[in-house]
Amino acid sequence: MRQSAAAIAIATAASTLLVATYLALGGTSYHASHVADPCAPRAWTSPNGVEQTLQQIALSTADGAGCALGVSREDVVLALASRDDLHHLASSHHLSNATVEDAVRAGLLRAVDDADDAGAIGGTLAGSLRFAAEHLPIGVVLAVLQGASSILGV
Amino acid sequence: MSARGRTVLLGIAIAVTLADSSVVTLALPDILRHYDVSITTVAWVLTVYNLVLAAAAVPAARLSRRNPVRVCATGLVVFAGASLACAFAPSFAVLLAGRGVQALGGAAVVSAALALLFDVSASEARAAHVWASAGILGAALGPAAGGLLTQFAGWEAIFLVQPPLLLASVAALWRFRRTTPAAVDAGRPHLAANLALLFASAALSAALFLLVILLVNGWNLDPATAGIVVTLIPAAAIVSSRISPRIGAPAVRAVTGLILVAGGLAALGLLPHAGWRWTIAPQVLVGAGLGLTVAALTEQALRGRSPQAVHGGWTIASRHGGIVLGLLLLTPLFSAQLMKNETDAKRAGTAILLDSHISPLEKIGAAQDVLRTIDHSGERLPDVRKPLEKRFDGANGAEYRRVSATLQDQLERAVTSAFGPPFLLAATLALIGVAVIAVGRRSATL
Repeated sequence: MRQSAAAIAIATAASTLLVATYLALGGTSYHASHVADPCAPRAWTSPNGVEQTLQQIALSTADGAGCALGVSREDVVLALASRDDLHHLASSHHLSNATVEDAVRAGLLRAVDDADDAGAIGGTLAGSLRFAAEHLPIGVVLAVLQGASSILGV
Repeated sequence: MSARGRTVLLGIAIAVTLADSSVVTLALPDILRHYDVSITTVAWVLTVYNLVLAAAAVPAARLSRRNPVRVCATGLVVFAGASLACAFAPSFAVLLAGRGVQALGGAAVVSAALALLFDVSASEARAAHVWASAGILGAALGPAAGGLLTQFAGWEAIFLVQPPLLLASVAALWRFRRTTPAAVDAGRPHLAANLALLFASAALSAALFLLVILLVNGWNLDPATAGIVVTLIPAAAIVSSRISPRIGAPAVRAVTGLILVAGGLAALGLLPHAGWRWTIAPQVLVGAGLGLTVAALTEQALRGRSPQAVHGGWTIASRHGGIVLGLLLLTPLFSAQLMKNETDAKRAGTAILLDSHISPLEKIGAAQDVLRTIDHSGERLPDVRKPLEKRFDGANGAEYRRVSATLQDQLERAVTSAFGPPFLLAATLALIGVAVIAVGRRSATL
C-alpha cells in the first residue's frame, strides 16, 4: 500500500516538476509580435528620392486604409500585391470590394496630402498621384503603390 | 519448434501488425506528395487501419476461439498480401483499401496469437504479459522504423519488409498442438479497464502522431532523425515495464503511468523553445507511462476472464478505438491552430519588416518575397532567411540579418505553439483515464 502511494506520488511530483520548469522557462509565452495601430499618427521621415517617397506613401496609404477599414496596416500591405489579394482582404473581413478599394484610394489621397504638406514631393507628382487615386482603375493604383513609378513616367 | 521459438515468432507477428497503427506516421508527408492529397486526407492512412482493427478485433477473436491456428495463419497471409498491395498501390483509394484489408488480417493475427500464446506458455498471466508487451513494443517502435525506412528506402519499403516477417511467423504454427480446450462463453468485457485503455490510447496516439509531425513538419527534421528522436519513448517504456511488477497492483501501475503520460504531454504542450532537445524529458515521462499503463490495463482486462482471445479482442478494440478517437479529436484542433498561428505569424512578420530600418524602397518587396516563401512552403516550416539572403550583402545587410533571424524565430515559435492545445487536450484524455480507473475501483470493478 505504501509502495503504491509512493509510486503515484513520485509520478505526480515528476510530472508537476517538468510542467512547472517548462512554464518557468516561458512555455506559454508565445504571442505574435506587436502589430502597430494603423490609426496612430506616424512621423513622416525624409525619404531620399522619388521611389523611396512612393514607398513611404504606400506605407502611409496602408495606415490610412487600415484605420478606415478597422484592419491592421500589415493586412493592407499584404493585400496591395494584387487586385485579387485586395478582394481576398475584403472577403476575409466581410467587406465589399468597393469599400476596400475606396479605402485604399482615400488612404492614398491622404498620404499624398501629407507628403505634399511636408514638401516631400513636388506638385507634378502630387497631382499625378491624386489623379491616379481618383480616376484610374484600382489595378493601376496598386501598381503605383508597389513603387512602379515608371507607370507615371517619373 | 521450442516454446520459446514459437513465443518469439508470435511476438514478432503481434509487434508487426500492431506497429502498423503508427508505422506510416513519418511516411505521411511522402505519401501526401506521392498521391497529391491534402494532410486531412492522408491522415486516413492511419485512421482506416485503426478503425477497421478496432471494429474487427472482437469478431476475429470470437472466430479464433475454435481454431486459432487456422485464423492466425489466414490472418498472416491476408496481412502480407495486403501489405504488398499497399506497397504497389496505383492510387490513394487502393492504398486505403489495402490498409483496411491489412487491419482485417491484423485483427485475426493479434486475437488468435493470444490464444496460441496461452497454449505455449500454459499461463494466462504470462501469455497476457507477452502479448501486451509485444503490442506495446510494436506500436512504440513503429514510427522510428517507419522513419528510417522512409528516409533510406522510400515509404513503400515499410510495406515490403512486413510480408517476410509475417510469413516467417507462420513457422510458429507448424505442427502446433493445442493444449487448452475451447471455452464456451466469453462473458462480459472488463468495462473500466477497457474504457481506461481507450483514453490512454487516445492520449498516447497524440504523443506519437503529433510529436512526429512536430519534428518533421514543424522543425524540418528528416524522417530518419525524427525516428531516432522518438525512439526515446519505447526505450523509456522498456525500462519502466521492467520495474513495473515492483510497483504494485495493475490499477496503481495504470494510474502511475497515466499521470506520467499526462505530465509528459502537458510539457510537450508547453515547450519553452523550438528544438528536439526540449522533447527529451517529456518523451521519457510519456514512455515510462506507456510502459506502465497499457500492459497493466491489458492484464487487468484479461485477468480471470476466459477465453482470453475474446477479451484480448476487446482490449484491441479499445486501444485502436482510442487511437481513432485521438486522431479525430486532435487532428482538426491541430490544423486549425496551425492555420491561426500561421496567419498571426505572417502579420507579425510583415510588421517586423515594415518597422525595420530597411529602406522604404525595399520593405514591401522583401515582405512579399517572405510571404511567397511562406505560402509555397506547404505543410513544412518555411526558411524565411532564404528570400532575404540575397540582400545580406547590400547596404542594409546587417538589418536584413537581424530581421531574418527575428522572422524565423517568430515562425518557429508560432509553429511550436500551434501544437500546444492538442498536446494539452491529449494530457486531459490521459487524466480522464485516471478518473475512469478511480471510478472503477470505487465500484470494485478494477
